[in-house]
Amino acid sequence: MNTFILGIESSCDDTSAAILCNTRVLANIIANQDVHKKYGGVVPELASRAHQQNIIPVVDIALKEAKINKNQLHAVAYTRGPGLLGSLLVGSSFAKAFALASGIKLIEVDHMEAHILAHFLTDDKDKNIPEFPFLCLTVSGGHTQIVKVDAHFEMEILGKTIDDAAGETFDKAAKIMGLPYPGGPVLDQLAKDGNPEAFHFPEPKMSNFDYSFSGLKTSILYFLRDHLKTDKDFIEKNKADLCASIQKTIVSILMKKLVLAAQSTGIKHIAIAGGVSANSGLRAAMLSAGEKHSWHVYIPKLDYSTDNAAMIAIAGYFKYMKNEIASQKLTPYTRQSNKTL
Amino acid sequence: MKIVFEVARLDQLDKVAKTLAAVAAEANVFAFYGPMGAGKTTLIKQFCRRLDVTDEVNSPTFSIVNEYLTTKDESVYHFDFYRINKLEEAYDIGYENYFYSQWLCLIEWPEKIEQLLPEKYVKVQITVEPDSEIRTIDIEVIGAN
Repeated sequence: MNTFILGIESSCDDTSAAILCNTRVLANIIANQDVHKKYGGVVPELASRAHQQNIIPVVDIALKEAKINKNQLHAVAYTRGPGLLGSLLVGSSFAKAFALASGIKLIEVDHMEAHILAHFLTDDKDKNIPEFPFLCLTVSGGHTQIVKVDAHFEMEILGKTIDDAAGETFDKAAKIMGLPYPGGPVLDQLAKDGNPEAFHFPEPKMSNFDYSFSGLKTSILYFLRDHLKTDKDFIEKNKADLCASIQKTIVSILMKKLVLAAQSTGIKHIAIAGGVSANSGLRAAMLSAGEKHSWHVYIPKLDYSTDNAAMIAIAGYFKYMKNEIASQKLTPYTRQSNKTL
Repeated sequence: MKIVFEVARLDQLDKVAKTLAAVAAEANVFAFYGPMGAGKTTLIKQFCRRLDVTDEVNSPTFSIVNEYLTTKDESVYHFDFYRINKLEEAYDIGYENYFYSQWLCLIEWPEKIEQLLPEKYVKVQITVEPDSEIRTIDIEVIGAN
């Protein structure tokens, strides 16, 4: 028998709804202006909270795109945390009300676990699923961590950033150079035409598997400040080389700890997750490290690496199969440390 | 009243943090001004250490607000409005629930939401001296009687 799960994600900026048939994605909708158009105008709300305006339209469109009726759903899974409290409340309140009204199961999902479990989504026929145990480098605008995954819900954080996230470092470096925000993707594009060895930036000396990016940000800032003094067109003249050198440094910092974690645990199945997994430099470095160290490398589709509800639904699917049903009384949590991952 | 510090090394930040902790009796909202790389997050890290925050203090640029707990189970909210484009986005996260709570709100990039700062708050200005790494840190209670 097929299991249909509705997933709801509203932890940060984007409101998203997805529908799965077992592990296969039938629909994965992220709110944008078109969502309102398709639904027939913005839903009026007293409070101008974006998620409140988006949540009903995205679910409606997800059901239509999945071509299923809401009575066919077995469960609704939602992001309980971590994230912004106001944003989480919209998704959790919606999911609870939806579960009560439709008489279906309610499932709570951790956003960071879901990023990793996105690797188990199977909309491609020849999809390559990670084997346990595997290591996952989760890198996004807000997170940078190496997680050891022993089973779907048995995860251990081996290392994390003590200051800035990797994605934030890409964006801030781009900002310092005057590129538009979010500058990560722009920087990646420009880096393709540059020489990654043109400039050298220091890498942090962190113990164990932790990361630090704040020092790199400051050193880029001072480096440019000093060069702009003698040549006001320094950035313009060296844009591609700067982008390539900065990207190379961030990727090198990320990969060194990942390689170290792989060597120390002896694990050969290595995955990346989160929005920064779209970075071409990181993808290339993962593939070449994979060859060098004979890893099995898992890189997600971009749709499932940035914040999305399909990953919430797949985590919900595995919990549903284990009959891990959430109580209506649960409250959201904003910090990961409130929960042991 | 304005208190001015000159800081040449990171380990001198603790005396600034000590003063910030003393000023916290005056207002719960702290606005940290200073250019990128000035050390706003670093100073807030030190401040949180003084407040006995047990959580890892890291940059909330993406999350906009981090919530920490002290050993006395008090909440401390760490904001970063760097990537906010419109005031509506601050309304969207429900800023008033934080600013008008009893808990400390430590704000980076307050320029982006200046109109939303409460009547009374603590202004912390970090200035980096040109051609050096010396910082001047001004602490001032705004709206004091």
